[in-house]
Amino acid sequence: MPSLRELQDAFAAALQEPSDERVLPWVVADRIAPAERLAVYRNNLRHNYREALRAVYPVVERLVGERFFDRMADLYARRHPSTSGDIHGFGGRLAAFIAGFEPAAGVPYLPDMARLEWAIHAVFHAAEPPALPVARLAALADTRPEALRFVPSPACRLIASRWPIARLWALNQPDAAWDDAFDIDAGGERLLVRRNGFEVELETLEPAEFDLLARLSGGEALAPALEAVRAVAPEFDLAAFLGRHLLATTLADFRVE
Amino acid sequence: MIDASPFAAAPARIPPRAGIGLRAPHYRELLAELPDVGWLEVHSENYFGAGGQPLHYLERARSHYPLSLHGVGLSLGAAHALDRSHLARLAALVRRFEPDLVSEHLSWGSVPGRHLNDLLPLPYTEEALAVAAAHVSQVQDALGRQILVENISSYLRFGHSTLGEAEFIAALAAETGCGVLLDVNNVYVSAVNHGFDPATFFEAIPPEAVGEIHLAGFDRVGALLIDTHGTRVAAPVWALYRLALERYGRVPTLIEWDTDIPALAVLLAEAATAESLMEARDAFAA
Repeated sequence: MPSLRELQDAFAAALQEPSDERVLPWVVADRIAPAERLAVYRNNLRHNYREALRAVYPVVERLVGERFFDRMADLYARRHPSTSGDIHGFGGRLAAFIAGFEPAAGVPYLPDMARLEWAIHAVFHAAEPPALPVARLAALADTRPEALRFVPSPACRLIASRWPIARLWALNQPDAAWDDAFDIDAGGERLLVRRNGFEVELETLEPAEFDLLARLSGGEALAPALEAVRAVAPEFDLAAFLGRHLLATTLADFRVE
Repeated sequence: MIDASPFAAAPARIPPRAGIGLRAPHYRELLAELPDVGWLEVHSENYFGAGGQPLHYLERARSHYPLSLHGVGLSLGAAHALDRSHLARLAALVRRFEPDLVSEHLSWGSVPGRHLNDLLPLPYTEEALAVAAAHVSQVQDALGRQILVENISSYLRFGHSTLGEAEFIAALAAETGCGVLLDVNNVYVSAVNHGFDPATFFEAIPPEAVGEIHLAGFDRVGALLIDTHGTRVAAPVWALYRLALERYGRVPTLIEWDTDIPALAVLLAEAATAESLMEARDAFAA
């Protein structure tokens, strides 16, 4: 008679590796064979992980088709098993997985689409951005920019791609009509994924704005970040940038060091 | 000073009526119509996120209806330790939403380092009972309240079980003080899959332990019934529900529907059917 741990280890192994039959002798054999009964659980497991990924990555699925997606999901679940009883955290490495997944090599923008869809998922469930710190905003004017650092909203993500993925994402929404003029080689996009109320929005940013936002979100102080941006875009309007992103709480707070 | 509950205006206690599972496609319609349904249940893990739409709608729904939190991922029967961060997130949700019922499944779903995200059957042994009892007590201590433990649908049994599933659940309730969430559909599905009489299952569960009943739909695949929560409650399950009402009295009863989610009106109609059976039982008992 197996211990509980022994039994559960063998059961889990059998779900992942059909050739691992250690658990079968412990299963009651009656009119239905133990292997057939075990197969129900194997199917459920595969189904659950496919559905979990499908819920987060609907456009990735549309781009490759259901059968390809399901096969990819099965392989992903083996490579990166779930580690939480909360299935919403499953699938965070799909973009990196696809990047190394040879059969998907013919769809070079697929990893970026997966990154975008994971960002949308994360932003959808993220904490509320804190309210604009209006009372402290006046302090901004008197602060040396070398000492100023910003805190990004938890409900924002930045994504840069060499493909027009936001456009492609929009064209693959359930009610969207296809645009014959769409050109996948039309050039890259820099995206801000953020929440507006409870809806997730994608906004395409100019390179300088994206670069500064990325630097500030990464914890760089305002002065060096701005210097780097102005080296490429000398006319960059800082006041407009700060006004916009503080108001939209992309930059949710700031601190003076 | 005692903090006032943010839901002070809403009923806290789940009445002995039918409730429905609250699912995302119905958020807006439910809040606009506020239908006369006794209570709502949600999957705890669907509200483990830090913010956004799900928590917003749950807060609004909770301000109108009593709530039950139903977990699917705690893996009470796993031989290894409970996931403390999962338990902490559940505890935070319980504090925030003040549910009247909190439930988990009598099953396991994880091995060290890996989650299977399914409700897998236990061997019904003394060893498994000790493990499950320790975990149920740990959860009840962490939440500072009683939980209900639900019987699952199963597709296999283990030869070295020394107890029946129902005897195991009754012993778990006696040992830990937990209640029982009796899933009548799961009793039916397992009874067909393993060839036992569902009435014997009911006989083993003491009436005072049962705090909630679940009803749902199943699918047939070959010789086995599969618990899918994706269809209406089947006729033999309604018949078993009548039997359950006779034995357990009028217990809060949930219509569960988690896949191929239908129109809200369909859920409400199923709930009305459950309530008409409750009333018929009351009339008969009077």
